[in-house]
Amino acid sequence: MAKKKETNSGNLELLLTQLVDELSQVNEKLDSLIALNGEILKIHERFQQKSGAEAIPRIEPHLEPDVISLLSLPASLRKTVMVLYELDKATAEGISRKTKRLRAVESAAANQLARMGYLKKKREGREVYFYIDSSMELKK
Amino acid sequence: MKRKAISIHSSRGGTGKTLIATNLAAILASRGNNVALLDLDFRAPSLSTVFAKGIQEPIKCWLNDFLNGQCTAEQTMIDVTAKFSLKGRLLIGLANPSVEAIRNIVEKSRAWEVTAVKKIFSLLSSLFNDMNVDCCIFDTSPGVQYSSINAAVSSDVSVIVTSLDTLDLKGTKNILEELYDALAKKTVVLVNKFSPEMRIKSDENQVSFIESVERMLKHPVIGVIPCYCDVLQSERTSLMALKMPNHPFIIKLEEVAERLEDFTKGNLEEELVEK
Repeated sequence: MAKKKETNSGNLELLLTQLVDELSQVNEKLDSLIALNGEILKIHERFQQKSGAEAIPRIEPHLEPDVISLLSLPASLRKTVMVLYELDKATAEGISRKTKRLRAVESAAANQLARMGYLKKKREGREVYFYIDSSMELKK
Repeated sequence: MKRKAISIHSSRGGTGKTLIATNLAAILASRGNNVALLDLDFRAPSLSTVFAKGIQEPIKCWLNDFLNGQCTAEQTMIDVTAKFSLKGRLLIGLANPSVEAIRNIVEKSRAWEVTAVKKIFSLLSSLFNDMNVDCCIFDTSPGVQYSSINAAVSSDVSVIVTSLDTLDLKGTKNILEELYDALAKKTVVLVNKFSPEMRIKSDENQVSFIESVERMLKHPVIGVIPCYCDVLQSERTSLMALKMPNHPFIIKLEEVAERLEDFTKGNLEEELVEK
């Protein structure tokens, strides 16, 4: 009985590891697609500038991650936003230290939130930081 | 006490949140803890009335001003320890009760609410790290309001106060399932105004009663406080825990404070997992 339980928990662990690996791969592919899209837009802008036409303004999605919107997000993403309320900015590693989830899981969640427009990300040296954009007027 | 933020919330008004929050703060401070009590009920502020006698000077910085980025944490918190001769410190942060301030809060945008929740976290950081506070208690608006959810998100433990009124219980079940479970926060239930006709006769009955409420609400019950008519009729501008420390209401609340301390340490959680 105990052996069977051990085998089951081993299988579950293996399955979870595979799942995390696959999520990381999906995340990497999405990041490359975003980078590729950026390159295409740059080429397009250069082409338009050369031909004298106006460049297409790049519109980045921006959504407010307020607590009510938080409730409509999947649980996995909700936890990441809640950590970023507390921290001004954080890397996936920094978020994972707070949530006690794997770095790859946090990286996937934060990148997804950034794509959805709830978070912003910026590169500082070799690190990528995620943060909530609070650049709006305080008195609104 | 390990540094903790505790929010006091309920699904509907009139459950006794403010009475519980203020007296819980007084009990913890009289035991030597440094306590901060924040009025996050911006739509119906009441702590400014409760503490009116303990405040000497006109208030320059309300919590509203802090959230608007117009005051620092130090400017916002008022030290009322001396007025009440407490063993620990008691700091209070008040919501502005003027109609204009309430109207201003009602008109705030979602973007402002994002900043507000971040400001609450920064206030907690100042309270715990710079002002040496051990425990912060949030008195919140009933129901699903931005300020209440902001408090729930930024607190370590949420106490949901309910009576056994059918509407209260139904509302409590709803916010527990749809709000607190979604936020995955430590949450406990406190039954208040327990009807004298239903008063529990023996310890055995009390255990089975608590278990039945826990089964229904699927969350631990941290205490059951009977309804005392004199408490409901008492003047609200003084702290009952200090004025009448032997009142059965305060004795019950002392037990709640102890169980809350256990809960924040994780002892009660282990006990509940075993159940």
